[in-house]
Amino acid sequence: MLAGCTSDSGSETTSEGDGGGGETTAGGATETAAGGSDATINIGQALNPVRFDPITQLSNPDALVANRVFSQLYTYGEGTDVVPNLATSMPTIERDNTRYIVEIVDNAMFHNGDPVTAEDVAYSFRTPIEEETPLLGIFSVIDTVEAIGETTVQFDLSNPYAMFQHVLTHQVVPEAVREEDKEAFSTQRPIGSGPFKFVEWEESNYVTLERWDDYWGDELPDVAGVEFTPITESTTRVTNLRTGDVDVVETIPPRLWETVESTEDTSISEIESVGYFYVAFNCNEGPTADKRVREAIDYSFSMDDAVDRYIDPAGLRQYGPLPGQMVEEWDMPLEEWMEIPNDKDVEQATALFEEAGVPADWDAKIIVPPDDNRENIGLSIANGIKEAGYEAHVERLDWGAMLSRAYTGNASDYNIYVLGWVRYPEPDDFIYNLFHEDSEGVNQGVYYKNDEVMEQIQGARESTDRDERQQLYQSAISTLLEEKVHLPAFNYKNSYGVKSTVSDFQVHPVSPQNPRLLTGYNNVSVDR
Amino acid sequence: MLFVVTVTFVLINSIPGDPVRILVGPSADAAAIEAARARYGLDQPLYIRYVRYVAAVATGDFGTSIHYGGVAVTVKIFERLPVTPLLLASSFTLAIGSAIPLGIFAAKNRNNGYDHLARITSLIGVSTPSFWVGLLLIIVFAYYGDLLPPSGLVMPWADPASVEGAASRLDVLATAASHLILPSITLGTLQMAAITRIERSSMLEVLNKDYVQLARAYGVSERTILRKQAFRNAQLPVLTVIGIQMTTALGGAVLTETVFNINGMGNLIITAVRAQDYQLIMGTTIFFAIVFVLGVLVVDVLYAVIDPRISYGGGAGE
Repeated sequence: MLAGCTSDSGSETTSEGDGGGGETTAGGATETAAGGSDATINIGQALNPVRFDPITQLSNPDALVANRVFSQLYTYGEGTDVVPNLATSMPTIERDNTRYIVEIVDNAMFHNGDPVTAEDVAYSFRTPIEEETPLLGIFSVIDTVEAIGETTVQFDLSNPYAMFQHVLTHQVVPEAVREEDKEAFSTQRPIGSGPFKFVEWEESNYVTLERWDDYWGDELPDVAGVEFTPITESTTRVTNLRTGDVDVVETIPPRLWETVESTEDTSISEIESVGYFYVAFNCNEGPTADKRVREAIDYSFSMDDAVDRYIDPAGLRQYGPLPGQMVEEWDMPLEEWMEIPNDKDVEQATALFEEAGVPADWDAKIIVPPDDNRENIGLSIANGIKEAGYEAHVERLDWGAMLSRAYTGNASDYNIYVLGWVRYPEPDDFIYNLFHEDSEGVNQGVYYKNDEVMEQIQGARESTDRDERQQLYQSAISTLLEEKVHLPAFNYKNSYGVKSTVSDFQVHPVSPQNPRLLTGYNNVSVDR
Repeated sequence: MLFVVTVTFVLINSIPGDPVRILVGPSADAAAIEAARARYGLDQPLYIRYVRYVAAVATGDFGTSIHYGGVAVTVKIFERLPVTPLLLASSFTLAIGSAIPLGIFAAKNRNNGYDHLARITSLIGVSTPSFWVGLLLIIVFAYYGDLLPPSGLVMPWADPASVEGAASRLDVLATAASHLILPSITLGTLQMAAITRIERSSMLEVLNKDYVQLARAYGVSERTILRKQAFRNAQLPVLTVIGIQMTTALGGAVLTETVFNINGMGNLIITAVRAQDYQLIMGTTIFFAIVFVLGVLVVDVLYAVIDPRISYGGGAGE
């Protein structure tokens, strides 16, 4: 829900399969010429990283750096498929989908020369629970995790959890080093087993990494190192790209898209993100608890126009709670969903408001986070409601205030909120967190009541039968859209401005996977 | 200072929001939120937190930053400390260095074309938001002109080995200057405009005084009058305005540092506010208050230097 804000997923790897089906090439470094060039790639980040310990959770800017330093048990292929990284193959699932057994490679090393052991893997998954870090919510499904051999780890879950394979994309840390000094591990000496070693970090200034020539994977990076520079103001960031101070910049906002595209020797690499940005209704209290009012609001404005005006070309219209790749991979009825939003019809809206008995002095409260784009979506809704004869106000709140108020279920706090969700490429992560009643007050403030839908969401979470899950999600989502619990709005693209001196740069839909410098299908180089 | 601490504390704790929600992230459950709240003492009643905070500040302890995972606020402030004063000094040098001659020139040429130009320039300078000036300068001089760097700052005393492309101290100074020009103009525009206006009007006032008219009647040259009689006497109001401008410059530094990606106190404050990091916001605010008080003190001392009639000695008056 914090757009692009949290993730514990994503990392570089040289041991991915071909991106097509979880095939692995892990296990065994091959003799490869050390690095292709002596050039360091300079990357302009949109936000400041603040710490690099995966156990205490990585925010998106942290992950951009840390995912080059740490290997993961599993990672993502070219798409959103989970593939082995430190693991040798996909996990063996036993005991009614509650036991996952993972074998890890026997030749992986941390940057200090210590071997990556099964105990390190167990520690990496156990510690967020024991230390009650923010990852607790995701990891709490793990009942026990232990090394049952030198290279074998066993996860026992308290209940079946269909998206557990995505949870296994967590980074692996060296227990001994982290236990020695957790603070230093997070800020001065993060040691992982990824293709780049951490060299230095000056807060808000730069982070430097260098190629680790003893990397255990199949191939070494073609760049000698990486320098990350946080440049928060987007015009400044794009100017740095134009002047060549950086080779790559993260996140191109809509208003600068054309500028970057038309800049000489520069192009935009982009792909639809694993995200979903939406308008949510308070179904617990106030007029929006009535479906007719939600329907009326949908009639009062045009989401197509709003997205076209404020998001395009940095994002695209979305018609359901699952991002494009997942709609395709899960064979969801997109055509059907595209028919659900109402065309703008103010008269119809007014009639529905009146039919629902909305008091004439109703003043709709719309809350939005500190994001111009989402504020503009909120303003489009407010204008529509005003056209239909009622008052409406948009309140732009700081993140802390937004998160404190958006999930209370109180009409005095909000009737409508505009938020987003960016995380694992797995339907459960979106549907359970945004709609299930167990997420009320934690990740959702819609408080929608429908026993059948809740059972479908729960059933899909516990099943590992993909066809069954597909049916359950399809049915649940169609109901949620028909009931106008959310109005799906848009999805961003993960976009990078790239100088022509950079070769083989590819963007991944899972934000923190980027920048993908070395994978099974690409190896970035810089020709200066 | 107790007043500043108290007002800041009350204001920070009055605004809606929850820093812990930002810290623990979207997937945290109620237990994780409560644990984090307890870890940072935010579960205590407000009056206890206030008493503890005042007692700690009295010993120089500004608490720890939530956003930076428990790092002491003073550590973060000292990390950024040299940057903002360097930027302020540079922008004030530029502002004063250009505003005083411009003001005098405008006063001397009252109501002619030069005067109008100076007045219009200063009016535009006062009315233009500094972030806009900054972005404009970046677009013109960095994006299209490719003449000056669009971001970052190199300290003049940095080790040449740590500065890209620098072989000697001179290279470092040149690099530092090239990085300072655009942010200094951005931050100094408002100051320059305000100082020009007051310099002009103050000079005009002095130039109309009887003793100046008398000097003119005696045939003293206009140049001598300006230099020896008018200039010094006109500077007291200018000094007052410079003192006031220090407060706005601190605010301007926040925007300038953000636009030019300079990691000073201004940038730290923006980070603190975005993260709703209570301790960091309070620490930086108190620090700015201290800087402001020191600035006012310097202006007061300079009053006495410029005008011998002003004395802080406490001696018997005439």
